Amino acid sequence: MSKRERIKAIQKMPETMKRKREIRNSLSEYFYRLSFWHKTLKIIGGEFGTSVLSYFIFLKWLLNFNIFSFLINFGFITIPQFVTAEPNNLSFTGLELLTGAGYFQQTVLYYGFYTNATIRKVKNGASYNMQLAYIFTVGIYFVICLLILLFSMAKSFSRNFINPQTYSGNASKLLCTWDFNITNEKAVKLKQKNLSTQIKVENTGDSRRCKGTESACWSHSAKACALISFWHSDSSMIVRFPINLSLPGFGSWHTVPKHSGLLDLHHFSLPDVHAFVFSFHPLKCWETLIGQDIYRLVLVDFIFCLLGSFFGEFLRRIIGTTVCLSLGVPEFDIGRSVLDLIYAQTLTWIGILFSPLLPGIQMMSFFIVFYVKKVSLMRNCQPPRKAWRAAQMTTFFMFLLFFPSLSGVLSVIAVTVWRLKPSEGCGPFRGLPSIYAAISEWVKILENYVDSKWVAWIYNNLITSELFFFILSVVILVITYLYWQIIKGRRTMAKLLREQIINGAKDKMFLLEKLRMLQRIENPFTPRRQDQQVSPVAQIPLFQSCVHYSCVGFF
Amino acid sequence: MGNKQTIFTPEQLDAYQVQNKLNELLFYRYRDLAPQLVPLDYTNKPNVTLPYELIGSMPELKDNPFRQRIAEVFSESGDGNMTLDDFLDMFSVLSEMAPRDLKAYYAFKIYDFNNDDYICKSDLEKTVNKLTRNELTPEEVNLACDKVIYEADLDNDGKLSLEDFQHMIIRAPDFLSTFHIRI
Repeated sequence: MSKRERIKAIQKMPETMKRKREIRNSLSEYFYRLSFWHKTLKIIGGEFGTSVLSYFIFLKWLLNFNIFSFLINFGFITIPQFVTAEPNNLSFTGLELLTGAGYFQQTVLYYGFYTNATIRKVKNGASYNMQLAYIFTVGIYFVICLLILLFSMAKSFSRNFINPQTYSGNASKLLCTWDFNITNEKAVKLKQKNLSTQIKVENTGDSRRCKGTESACWSHSAKACALISFWHSDSSMIVRFPINLSLPGFGSWHTVPKHSGLLDLHHFSLPDVHAFVFSFHPLKCWETLIGQDIYRLVLVDFIFCLLGSFFGEFLRRIIGTTVCLSLGVPEFDIGRSVLDLIYAQTLTWIGILFSPLLPGIQMMSFFIVFYVKKVSLMRNCQPPRKAWRAAQMTTFFMFLLFFPSLSGVLSVIAVTVWRLKPSEGCGPFRGLPSIYAAISEWVKILENYVDSKWVAWIYNNLITSELFFFILSVVILVITYLYWQIIKGRRTMAKLLREQIINGAKDKMFLLEKLRMLQRIENPFTPRRQDQQVSPVAQIPLFQSCVHYSCVGFF
Repeated sequence: MGNKQTIFTPEQLDAYQVQNKLNELLFYRYRDLAPQLVPLDYTNKPNVTLPYELIGSMPELKDNPFRQRIAEVFSESGDGNMTLDDFLDMFSVLSEMAPRDLKAYYAFKIYDFNNDDYICKSDLEKTVNKLTRNELTPEEVNLACDKVIYEADLDNDGKLSLEDFQHMIIRAPDFLSTFHIRI
């Protein structure tokens, strides 16, 4: 075959070819996935290490998530709406970008613009029921979000879980902590200096005390982690979600006692959505007004994120290097930045029902934030001095994204869909008693068709029946209990095996001693230590037991 | 640079998996280290070995305090001179996709300076000195190594075996992300 034909043949090779080393092949998929921003992440990891890199990877993950959200919502809800769009009579002034009102009110940005009709492009042709599309798209999207988050959390947890009962000593820190990602000479020198300082500190015996503080940190955070209070008031069903997160001084493995201060993040309180809803409720087109408010919140959060970067890093560096030299160059505040991201994502989730284009806006904002943070990091920050348990903190942040973030949003959306009456004049659900009524009415219509009677049957007997969910819950509880017992058993097993290893080691030492004594019996002319002058005769009864043991085999 | 197309026989595809885009990238990185030594045409199974000095000058490795040990562990001859196969193996193990056990095994071999399948005290001392750039006094190094052995040595033989090391890795979940080099 000529050169060119061979190359073509190689390029056309089927994927099912036999592969010897699987890792190299999974590498290619990983490489394709990561090739976007790969170089940037490599540079960041090279200069600042894995901990700061974990923030950017989280940001990239959220960005991908929002791209996916945007595609789903745009594809299924917005594009059909473009077909039957009403003309927009309002004029566009630049102010709408800030307030979200005005011209934007009559666009696909908000719930109010969407039609409740069944869209039909060609008479008697294919039809597209906007009501069902809207509610099913949002519903299925949230289910997919839930599943993705659950799987990510489970995967992260299983990879990074360490049993808090096993003593997490400093040995692992020494041998496993070297960050092979760091490729910058200055960063390497800095890390080496930090390590030597840490070793010096530990050698003076502070390590024991620090372990106690650390476990206090974690238990405190477990108690104070998420305070979600909600109460129902009589018929109006106000659900309130203020969330105050107190997080420990995370990261340091050797937290000096005063450093274990709690980071109180009061700004992390979910907006009082249903207070909004209730106050807007009697108004015309209240969903659009909520959408506008959330749009403004997203915008303000974005601006504050940029300002935070400006003040927290840029100005702080200027101050630290010119005016007040003792402060020095700032470090990148990973915790606060990640919480900003989680807050922004929560806002997007709340707003999806009321403003389907919100993921697109958030997508652009994350994109800009990535570059701003990256530039600010490179110019203004130094690599972190203290260790940051990147793996465990990533698991923790995933968990925060799930609870209280996603679960809170799901509860809010559930109440909105089931209990509140949609506005009369606008939106795809005008005229219905509740948003959910669209589904129940559709099922009633389906009952009249013979072909789709099974759908109606499933709906009536499974989805709306309490018995089904009760049985489902019982099954899940039983499975959880089984797994719990398995874990308990394995823990006991691990303990027993550890003791067995220790005993085996003791046996080994014992047998080695005996062997040495045996060898001295056989060869009495080998030099013996003065304090071990034992008569060979006394060793003979032990000879039998040694042979027996050596037959059994030692560890 | 010349013609960027590489030619492999179908049998060698099994060994090198060149259709794999990442391996192609790694091949070009390998070749870039010494274009005059590494041929574009691998059909004749050339026996090309790049000396350690070239490998150690790669930007990903040049500042790593363990670069010499990494090259020695992954090279067939144990002296740091690597063939293409060794090179691909090295970056596969150091990638994100490699399983924890494989990484632990190679990390153990890297820290085992005298290649006796145990991390003994002298190995640990060398490791600590490399990690701290020789800034600690011998007493401090000694103390640190004693602590490591006291905590990690389960079978009480005064040195760490592979099982001890793996047991220690379990308690350090960050290991998977720190024992990783991006290419």
